[in-house]
Amino acid sequence: MKRLIPFLIILIFSVDTYAQYKEKNYGNTPNEIVPYANFQNAYKKHFLEPWPFRGSGREKAEPAGLETVRIGLLAPLENSKDVPKGMQMKQGAMLALEQANAKGGYKGIPFELMPHNDVGLWGAAANEVVTMDDEGVWAILGSLNDIVTHVAIRVALKCEISVVNMADPDPTLTETNIPWVIRVISDDRQSSYALANRIYKVDNHQRVSLLRANNRYGRVGTGEFKDASRRMGHPVAVEVRFEDGHTDFTDQLNTIKKNNSDAVVLWGDAKEMGLIINQMREMGMNHPVYACDRAVTGEFLEVAGKNADGVTTTCQYNPKLPNPKYDQFVTKYKERFNTDPDVFAVHSYDAMNITIEAIRRAGLNRTKIRDLLTDMETFQNYKGASGEIVFDATWNDVGQIYMVDIKGNDFHYKPFEAEYQAYTGSVK
Amino acid sequence: MMNARNTYTVSGLIITAVLLFGFTRPNGNESKEEKKSESMPLYGNWKTYGKKDGLPSDKIYAVRADGDRLWVGTNQGLALLEDGVWTVYTEEDGLAHRGVLAIDVSPVTGDVWIATMSGLNRFSGGKFETFTQFNSGLANDVIYSVICDGKDVWVATGGGAGVLDTYTGKWGIYTEQNAPMHEPWTYSICAGGNKIFIAAWGGGVIEWNKETQRFRDYTDPDGEMEIDLFPDDGVVHDITTAVSYSNDMLWVATYFGMSTYDGTHWKGYFDHDSGLASNFINFIRAKDGIAFMCTDNGLSSFNGETWVTYKGGKVIIDGNSAGERSLDATSSISHDFTIGVDLTENEIWVATSKGLCRGEVIGSTETKTSKL
Repeated sequence: MKRLIPFLIILIFSVDTYAQYKEKNYGNTPNEIVPYANFQNAYKKHFLEPWPFRGSGREKAEPAGLETVRIGLLAPLENSKDVPKGMQMKQGAMLALEQANAKGGYKGIPFELMPHNDVGLWGAAANEVVTMDDEGVWAILGSLNDIVTHVAIRVALKCEISVVNMADPDPTLTETNIPWVIRVISDDRQSSYALANRIYKVDNHQRVSLLRANNRYGRVGTGEFKDASRRMGHPVAVEVRFEDGHTDFTDQLNTIKKNNSDAVVLWGDAKEMGLIINQMREMGMNHPVYACDRAVTGEFLEVAGKNADGVTTTCQYNPKLPNPKYDQFVTKYKERFNTDPDVFAVHSYDAMNITIEAIRRAGLNRTKIRDLLTDMETFQNYKGASGEIVFDATWNDVGQIYMVDIKGNDFHYKPFEAEYQAYTGSVK
Repeated sequence: MMNARNTYTVSGLIITAVLLFGFTRPNGNESKEEKKSESMPLYGNWKTYGKKDGLPSDKIYAVRADGDRLWVGTNQGLALLEDGVWTVYTEEDGLAHRGVLAIDVSPVTGDVWIATMSGLNRFSGGKFETFTQFNSGLANDVIYSVICDGKDVWVATGGGAGVLDTYTGKWGIYTEQNAPMHEPWTYSICAGGNKIFIAAWGGGVIEWNKETQRFRDYTDPDGEMEIDLFPDDGVVHDITTAVSYSNDMLWVATYFGMSTYDGTHWKGYFDHDSGLASNFINFIRAKDGIAFMCTDNGLSSFNGETWVTYKGGKVIIDGNSAGERSLDATSSISHDFTIGVDLTENEIWVATSKGLCRGEVIGSTETKTSKL
């Protein structure tokens, strides 16, 4: 028996995380907030198993005579307030691509990044994906904005090109059953559950107000938070919106003030959230503030100043964990671009490394590249610069998410899982 | 004679019965009961066409019968079959893009309207005219669906739905700005019952009433992407991919199952509780009361009573029921990943991931045989 113990230990630790995930509710949803679970079992549950791609394409031979192996990038690169984020996405991808080329590219053929701006006329992303198809890209990375990415994945399905998303937190992106899309960054469903747990279970707030951007990011991002709040017995007391670029939030804050809330949740871009918290304090509103993950930026600290202290938010990774891959990435990124990487850069770096590895293993065949990206084995538990990626049945990253407390003009990270267990005594 | 109180009691019982039968539904196993079968045509003698026959590609996106002519959209161009000869049209001929996603023929003028991945074409008098975002009122250049409704040409695009009045040349655009859709992502469009129906990706079905000039929407009542709480309470999912209308019935395809709507009641169908080949439905076309569902795992047809599915070289009648029959076929569709379909009086054309297939009526579901 003793001789079996090492074998059993290895066996226990080799059980793949997807198998463990399958034991949980879809999206790691805690039992108490599973939709309608208190009164009705759903007739049909989706996303229990990965949806296969049953079309043809695997039989296609690798093309000869290619000068480069092209990989598309869809990001806000021009004429958008999100250009700084888009540039981080591009630079993260470029760094991984250049490193791969330094190691010989694909069988001696260099990889080539094909960047495309996703901002422009209505549905610009759709047209750009068609252009990338015409350019012969083997996979596409992107994008940031959910309205852009949704449009892109529909065209990608028609063109049969894999999309590796690394920046869009819209939970519905991977809930479309399109078997050509994976996401390597945690979404707003995970952020919402983490925030709701902290607000209602840890900090024991009862009545929360929500102030969000009046756009799809604000609407869809807060959707899961509102659902979770309601199912935990604390429906959001009041929801008010602000426009991107606005600097005066007096009306919205007066509405919240009148509503006698005991905490405020902000969901928008870093600058607006920083300005809002400043104005709250000026108006004598001392509510505890919780914010979406876009608060985890230098811009938020800069705008909010000392008012940032005490804000709680979430983050899709923990840059302070010991991770040699992350440390090397940061060093190389700074050398190459003379700036610090952000959350989009590091996830873009991982997305490109995964894509390149899939191409190297599968060869130049889009369907086989898709098969490898989605096989739930090759890249399951991938350990990248951003940490470990754990895919659920929709190929959405449901790996660790972190609570972030801002203190002393700095971010303090703590795994949500640990906090959840500490206060509920159970595992998600 | 019943008094008023009795009338209320009877009415109450009727309403209760309607509610019970309308809103309760057996689970997948319980549905395996013997069903009353209504005859359905069976197709066979399948023949496959591809590059070897003169088509520009084996990947077929769309097929449209037009009298003696057949139009075929592929990922490498448009093809026309006429008098047994294939003619191929590409960008060099004026096609807006090689990717042809949908085709329709105007009943008024005979013009052929072609939805491509980079613009809309009108093929008239042997010449192509191209409409794009830059020279017309198109909302987006990726056109997923086109239909001709009298003088109007409707399109579903990546940036909203649109309509061209071919008499005046005026365009109308329908997006989240002026129609009940959260986002302007439209995927399919059909006409029927003096209405236009739009499959809005993530937004269910949008209905445009031509008489009242008003929109209304139909979305999944449970509002959740990961479940369908009740199958018959509305459209089964908000990710709608195709719509078709025939005999006062709206047929709605999604990547999560299928729905029908008769103007009063919705019904939902999944691959575990019906003869539907797969929940992932690329396209749907209903004609004369029979709907053909192009799924990623075979072609299914359904008339509201009887299912017939063509997949894996077999013909399956009333799959997932106690009366299920499986017939061996001497020929079959070339690939189970089906993308488009159209019908003539005695034949069916199926666009697949690997070839265009033609079948002909060779019997009916009443035929007592184990082989086709």
